[in-house]
Amino acid sequence: MAKRTTSPVGGLERNNEPAVLILTSLASGEKHGYALSKDIEGFAGVALGPGTLYGAITRLEERGLIEPTPSDDRRQPYRITASGRAALSAALEQMRQLSEIGTSRLGARIATSRPTLGGATPGYSL
Amino acid sequence: MNRFNRFERMLHWYPPHWRSKYAEGMAALLEDTYGTGRVPIKVRLSLVKTGSLERAREVGFIGSATSPHERERAGSLLVLCGWGAFMIAGAIFAKFTDNWGASQLGGANRTLITSLYDVVQWSGAAGVLVVLGAAILVLPSLLRMLRGGDWITVRRPLLGALVAGAIIAVSTAAIVIWAHFLSYRERNGTLAVYGYVVGAWSLMVSVAVGVVASAAVSVARRLDLPRRSVQWLSTMAVVLTSLMFVILAAMLAWWSIESVHAPVFMRNGIGNGLFYTSSEFPLALIAAALLMSAGLCAAIGGTVRVVRARRDGAYE
Repeated sequence: MAKRTTSPVGGLERNNEPAVLILTSLASGEKHGYALSKDIEGFAGVALGPGTLYGAITRLEERGLIEPTPSDDRRQPYRITASGRAALSAALEQMRQLSEIGTSRLGARIATSRPTLGGATPGYSL
Repeated sequence: MNRFNRFERMLHWYPPHWRSKYAEGMAALLEDTYGTGRVPIKVRLSLVKTGSLERAREVGFIGSATSPHERERAGSLLVLCGWGAFMIAGAIFAKFTDNWGASQLGGANRTLITSLYDVVQWSGAAGVLVVLGAAILVLPSLLRMLRGGDWITVRRPLLGALVAGAIIAVSTAAIVIWAHFLSYRERNGTLAVYGYVVGAWSLMVSVAVGVVASAAVSVARRLDLPRRSVQWLSTMAVVLTSLMFVILAAMLAWWSIESVHAPVFMRNGIGNGLFYTSSEFPLALIAAALLMSAGLCAAIGGTVRVVRARRDGAYE
């Protein structure tokens, strides 16, 4: 079984975690819960439930990656901190590397799995 | 009804400390999302799940936010919760096997099954002693906390546990006195009212065990315990988990041997008391086995947490 490793910054272990989505959303400016939820749904197509969203907000605030901003409204806005930006940056870099590796391997596979045109017997061209 | 309060009430699964910080914002999110409409059952269930997880995280049962020292204490408390389930299961098993000696078993089978039954009983008694030992160990810290005026913070769970204990003591005494005036047959099925009362009493005991276990967790996590005490408690928790494993294994072995060699006891309901038995898989034993399995799972989870906390350098 694969062992999960911890990333060096901020503990954002998995790239598809709500934490990454929230940090990405807050990178464009402070937002409250509903605005976060709608923004994430808009750019990632992921509908985070209220429990999941606030669970992630709690963890992110505990780690100092986001912080609440003063508000007179019941809607509590949050903003990303410097540590949060660093953690998001590290997570995105990790995702970029993964994407590059995946794309290059997928490209090689597409090339290797393409059958020769017009050939009666299956074959592969590189 | 205040619409906003409606949403805040949905968050009662979350711990008070969490609610004081996040409930308003989350209720606003729910209000913005659902307005005057109905909150889907899926979302409600999700709130129950995430709220319960948040409580477990706050106590230290899950997550790594707390220190290894706290995680070791929380692991021990999780084992104690598992033992609570074992106490209820043990009571069911004891009632079911009230008169199991009447089953017609001879020779080696009789010796084996008696030994297994003894293992269940003695391991159960050893478990009670371990829990009492743990209670004695934390008593000085508890008294210090009460004398220091911090009892206010645990007033509610403590009062709940005392009330639950008092109700159980009084109702048990009443049932014992009533049973004293009944015949064997009346106590074992022919007097329906007695069966219903015992059934209700069993449910009350189960709730009371839950209340007391919850109070124990609330109090123990607030106690200022020296590291050595926590180390002792966690060692006791590991011993308790081992005893729970032995009890469950011996109970299952007893059940299977009794079913094969003395099925009449299972089928005819001799001594079944509260639950009627109709096959080799009586409801009472299934309930007891399920409760014990759940308790053992919790205890194993707690033990793993203890071991990991120690590994993470609790005593370096």
